[in-house]
Parts: sequence; structure tokens; C-alpha cells
Amino acid sequence: MMRVINLSLIAGLATFAQADALTSGLEAFHRGDYVTAERDLSKSPDPRARTFLALTMAATGRCDAAGAELAKAFASGDQALKRLSGLALAQCDMAGDRLDDAAVIASKLKAQYPADPDVLYQSARLSMRAWNETIYQLYQKAPASFRVNQISGEILETQGHFAEATLEYRKAIEKNPKALNLHFRLGRALLMSSHAPEALDAALKEFEAELAMNPSDSIAEYQAGQILLAQQKPDAAGARWQRALELNPDFPEALVALGKLRLEEKKNDEAIGLLQRAVKLSPRNESAHYSLMLAYRNAGNLAEARKEKAELDQLQKAPEGEFTEFLKKLGEKPPQK
Amino acid sequence: MKLFFLLLAAAFVPDFRDIAVEAGLTHVFPNGGLETKEYIIETTGSGVAMIDYDNDGLLDLFVISGAGGRSRLYHNEGGDRFRDVSDAMGITRTGWGQGVCAGDYDNDGYTDLFVTYWGQNVLYHNEGGKRFRDVTKESGLTQDRIRYNAGCAFLDYDRDGRLDLFVSNYLKFSFEETPKPGANPYCWYLGLPVNCGPRGLPFDRNILYHANPNGTFTDVSEKSGIAEPHQNYCLSALVADFDGDGWPDIFVACDQTPSLLYMNQHDGTFAEEAVLRGAAYDDNGKAMSGMGATAADYDHSGWLSIFRSNFSDERETLYRNRGKGEFEDLTISAGMGHNTRFVGWGCGFLDFDNDGWKDLLLVNGHVFPEIDRKNLDIHFKDRRILYGNLRNGKFEDLSEKAGTGITGKHSSRGVAVGDIDNDGSVEVLINNQGESPSLLKQAGKPPGNWTILKLIGTKSNRSAIGARIRITAGGVTQTDEVRSGGSFFSQSDLRLHFGLGEAQRIERLEILWPSGLREEKTGFAVNRILVLQEPAPQK
Repeated sequence: MMRVINLSLIAGLATFAQADALTSGLEAFHRGDYVTAERDLSKSPDPRARTFLALTMAATGRCDAAGAELAKAFASGDQALKRLSGLALAQCDMAGDRLDDAAVIASKLKAQYPADPDVLYQSARLSMRAWNETIYQLYQKAPASFRVNQISGEILETQGHFAEATLEYRKAIEKNPKALNLHFRLGRALLMSSHAPEALDAALKEFEAELAMNPSDSIAEYQAGQILLAQQKPDAAGARWQRALELNPDFPEALVALGKLRLEEKKNDEAIGLLQRAVKLSPRNESAHYSLMLAYRNAGNLAEARKEKAELDQLQKAPEGEFTEFLKKLGEKPPQK
Repeated sequence: MKLFFLLLAAAFVPDFRDIAVEAGLTHVFPNGGLETKEYIIETTGSGVAMIDYDNDGLLDLFVISGAGGRSRLYHNEGGDRFRDVSDAMGITRTGWGQGVCAGDYDNDGYTDLFVTYWGQNVLYHNEGGKRFRDVTKESGLTQDRIRYNAGCAFLDYDRDGRLDLFVSNYLKFSFEETPKPGANPYCWYLGLPVNCGPRGLPFDRNILYHANPNGTFTDVSEKSGIAEPHQNYCLSALVADFDGDGWPDIFVACDQTPSLLYMNQHDGTFAEEAVLRGAAYDDNGKAMSGMGATAADYDHSGWLSIFRSNFSDERETLYRNRGKGEFEDLTISAGMGHNTRFVGWGCGFLDFDNDGWKDLLLVNGHVFPEIDRKNLDIHFKDRRILYGNLRNGKFEDLSEKAGTGITGKHSSRGVAVGDIDNDGSVEVLINNQGESPSLLKQAGKPPGNWTILKLIGTKSNRSAIGARIRITAGGVTQTDEVRSGGSFFSQSDLRLHFGLGEAQRIERLEILWPSGLREEKTGFAVNRILVLQEPAPQK
């Protein structure tokens, strides 16, 4: 972790160092030669040397000895030392199983350095660790709970094991037939587990089951509409998206789906209205911009179509687009409003 | 009577059989590994062609090979028999062969062949039907570096009567610099280490060669606008006059990047307009892994629509031309939204029942043989797909009942369509990776009448490539064009086949020759091949 110090900082600090001991200590620290770093930094009278000595001790597992100095540096105004000390403190707290304390530091670091890869990496590790520990507790303390099957299904989905995920969701439903979201999850996993047309029927049944328990689930209505469209029942699909929008008027995906349907029906004005709302609600929604571009084009408004194309071009620029796509594939169900 | 025919035709289900072995097409055409593929170059080959090189009236066959084999030319001996004439005809080039396109580039009356390679392309000049001569160097088509040349098409983009040449380029590839399977995130698929790319590999640009009066070609990619954009992994080239202005446009199916549509500006330049015209993405604005592409007036609108084959977990794409070269993705409503487990390649509109409505065939096969280890419903070798045109803008998937030629499993790439025995029923030639090719022929006779049109240009290029036909029979008007290239890296018969249903006569033929001459003819008999020559220019 301590290898993350950047060279410019070393160079800058070295320039201001009063003694050769500080310079050689910093160089050794950067090399990962902590024995030499500790020896040389101990000799330097420079106050920065004390912080780097603490960082060296933290890096060699002596967090208790380093803690006070690191905390002092983390509270100081020296941005470079603050960042390094914060990272070391978070690492020490994680090593000591003080995850709550680590979370506080990570949160402060993220607020101050929101684009710093080292800070984000440490935060991700912390979240992963907390997630693992919580899952472990769930499996230990409530192994028979439907939640165990549900979380297993969700994990299997993220690993791409959709057929196995459907089995876990079915077990969860058997244990708790009244629990919300299980049928929805099962329906979605069924869609992902097979390319066969029969999967559409099976998934539709699950979304209907979800809606039977929760008639206000706009996302289940939307998914049912998507299946009906794939089954070439556009009128039935349109009715489902209408219903989804009655339940949640600010549902961009449903607006896009209905807008596309109206476009195919050559109802350009209606399509434009729906898609304009989608774009306003979800300015980064590529599908909304694309469909709106086509709607303007079909309506003969090429100037507006070109504006939408420009928006789309901007959104599709790599590499952000690729990573966004990757995240989309993880497919979390968005919270309902 | 009409109703009876419609019922008969609607009930007709073809029975396609693979007659390749009986026909003498027994050579195996290698294209990299069959258990695993280490490099992307092993995934894209190769195309096929159906041309009549010796003008004997019978279609001959050309099959391209990857490294480790050789491309072969087969002469049509009649009676559905073919003879390998590769050596005698001078077809000698080996290497990573990719695509093929045909056209009489020097207007000497014999069809020439252009074959693309990872490496140097080759232009085979047809020496009076007796031999092909490699004229690549003397025609100025030698490239200054190794390129991953892909699809190609002859076209007369400036309508000067000489065939120019478009060559799409996939990406920059070398064995030395390309990472090995699993080396980076672009070298994994469903948890399997697989060959890297196209993502992560450098883009290249497409090429347009202008034909000079002395038989040489000049690279005009930059000044024609074809060199831009260059952030697309381009595969198949499909040329047609999509906006009906009398000038050929170029559609390019691109892998994991937006497909391209170069619109002819009538001044030697093109403007790339795929996004705004609705032919770049799927209906969600998402780039697909476009592989093959074909065009037809499948709905009798008088406009040429585009079908593009894509990757598994993507829908195929049917871009309906809503007029003037503006497209809408009607894949789902046309009944083509369900075949998402296939990686599609060569494709062709063909009228298998001669009812006057173009049906569609496409072939499949995954790029990663390793996928078979996963026991999923996607496979390296898979069956073909045959869609029957329901004449209402929709298609019916007939694949499972259309015969063993369709249900047989192969990892197929190139497809060409043509009538090898001139009986009015079209055959299909398919390149299968690591196997002998397939030659599909119907066991039964299709119910409808037909015609085949062979066009000969005079002021226009001799192959009449780019000529647009409107044929009216039985009150139904169909539109098509003479086309070089298309499908996936392949060349179909340069003659045009039309099913005519129960029509007993062709009422009207309208020909818009590439020269701009518009010709109208009336009153032809059905069930025969018509040779139509462009009226000689007036002196």
C-alpha cells in the first residue's frame, strides 16, 4: 500500500529536506526498503520525517506505534501527507478489524479525493470486506432463511450462472412465497439463462406473479411489456408500458419503450413527447437520445435530429461508454419512486 | 386460381439438401483451430463465389481457404457436378484468404475476381475464360503493408463505365503484437480465455480504389471520404443505391462498432451517414457485432432494405428502408427477434418458393470453439436459419423443417446464392470452417414461375453492376440490383433471379443502367433466362 506515493511528492519533499537523512529515508521508503527508511528517517529532525517514519511502521505492521502520528498528519493541512496518512490509517483499521473506523476515514478520503485511484481502491476493498463479513454472518446465523437463497441467486447472477440462480430463487420462493422481488428476480434470471422462446413464457409468468403480489411494481409491468413485444404482441406490450407509466410517470425506460412503439406506429408527435420526457429524466440514456433522434428525423425535423445525434455521439465515446455498458450488464434493479 | 396458388405457395416448405459431396466439392478448407483459436485471424474466414468465368452459361464455384489450405475454383460440368480447375486456371495464391468479389473490371466480356487477404490482396484477371492471371502489381493494387482486408465490392461510384473497387478493413493485426488468449479483459468470453479482439486491437481504415482508363487503380480513400471514420471494425461490404438517386452507396457491417453507410455525393465523394439514417445501431442505439449484410426489396416497397447478421446475445437486424435511404429497425415486428443464440455470418435474400417475395437465409457458427466446453445453447457449429416471407412485412422461421441442408451443423461463414443448373430454383454455396463446403439444393421443385436476368452493359460497365431492375409480373412489382460483393465476404450470381408466382408473363421490365439510361421493355415469357444488353450509346 505504501508504494503508492508518487515520485513528484518524493522529489518535492526531497528538495525541501534539511538533511540527507530525510532524502535517503524517503528514497528507501519509496523503494520499499523499510529497514533503511526507518534507520534514516529516525535520524532526521524534519517534522515530515516523523510522519514518514509512522508510515514506515504502518507498512511493516506496527500500526499501534504509528497511529497517533498518522492521526495527527491526517488532521493536518499538508495535503500530500494527509492523503498518505489517511490511506495508512484506513489500512491499519482494516487490519485491526475496525471496519467502522476504517469506513469513517475512507468516507473522508473519498470526499476530499473523489477521483484518486488509491483512495477508490482502498474504499472498494473496504466495501468488499464488509460485504463478505455480512454475508458470512447471514450464512452462519440464518442458514435456513430464504434470504440466503436470495443472496445466493444474486451472487450467481453476477457470475453469469443464471440457470443456477433460478434454482436458488425457486428455493427462496418455496420458503417464503409472499416475499416481494423474488419472482421478479427469477423472471429476469430465466430470461438470461436461455435463448429459447419458452424462456419468455416462463419469465412472463414470474413477472405476473410479482405483480399479483405487488400490483404497483412498475418495473415488473415494464418487463412484462418487453416480453410481450418480443412475442410480437405490440399492443399488449404498449398497454403494459402505459400501466408502468401510470404507476411511475418518471420511468425513463418505459417512456423509451412506449416512444419506440409509437414511432413504429408512425405517431411521431406522440413519440417525440414521450422521448423528450425520457431524455429530460435520464440525460445519459443512449437509447432515449437515439430514439428521439429517429423520431425527429421521421417528423422531418433534421435540425433537432442532428442535435440528438450529437448528444448520442458524446455519450458513446469510449472508454467511459464501455465501462458504463459493463456496469449496465450487472443489471441492478433500480429503486422505484 | 390466384387464391389456390397463394395457398399452395404459403404451404410450401422447402427441403434443402447438402449435395456438396456428390457434386465433387470434397476438399477441406482450413481456417485456424477447431478446438481453440489463438488469434482473431482464425475466426473470420472465408467467403465463396458463384460466377460463370468461361461464359458457358453455367455458374462455377470459388471457395476461399485460410492458411494451411488453398482456395479452389470448380468448373460446372453440368448435371450438378463440379471439377477442380484451380491449377489449370492459375488460382495459386495461398494465405489467410478472406473475401471475394467479382466484376468485369476491364470490360472485356469475362468476369474477373478480386480476393482479399490478411496480407496482399489479389486481382485475378480473367484471360478469356481460359486462365486467371494475377495482375495485382501491374494494376496498382499492391499494398505497402500487411492489412486485414475483409469484404470487397466492385462498383462504378462515379458512373464512368469502369468498375471501381471498395475494400473494407477489419483491424490491424499481427501475430507478433497481438496478445494471447486471456492476456487482457478483451481476451475473455463467458469466463473462458479466448482470442483477443476486436476490442483492444487497433482500428484500420477502409479503402476505395478508382479505376483508371489504362486498367490500373488509384487509392482515392482520402479524397473520396472513405478513409473516415476510422474507428470501426469493418467486415462485410454491401453496395446498393439505397436512396434511389441513381448512384451507388456503400453499407459496411462493422463488428462491435457502429455500422457505416457511405452515401454517394455524385462528385466522387461519400458522406458517412449511418447513424442519422438509422443503419448504424440496433433499435436501442447500441452498436452490434455486425458480420454479414444483404439487401432486398423484401416488402415490394421499391426500396432496398438491409439485413445484417450479428453476434450471439444480439438480435439480427432488419433495417427496413422507409424511403430515400432512411431506415427503421423492424427486426422484432418482422419476426426475426428470437434467434439470439447464433453468431450469424453470410446471408442472402432468395426466393426459394418463387412466389415473388424474397425469403432469407443466413448461416451461423461461433467465433470461439472453446464455447462448446460451457455446455450452453450456443455452439461453434450450428444450424442455418431460413425465414419464409409471409408477404405482409413479416417472416416465418422455417429452419427446423426446411431440410437437413438447413439443420446440419457447421461453423459457416461465406454464403453465395445462384442457380447452378438454370432450372429457376436457386442453390446456395456455403464455406464451412475446417470442412468441405456445403452446396444446398432443394429436393423438390418450387411452385412458382421465375425468370433470370443477365444484364450486359455497353456504356455502363460490362457486368452491369449497379443496374436497377423493376420487374412487374402478375401485377406485382419487384426491385433489385446487380450487385458485386455482399453477404459475408462473398459473391452471389451476378444474374438476377426473380420468382414470379403464378404470373404467366412478365408485363414490364424497367432497367436503370448505371450510365443513367432508363429502359423499359414489355412482354416476356416466364421460366427462362433473359439476356438484356444495354442499348449501344448513340454516336
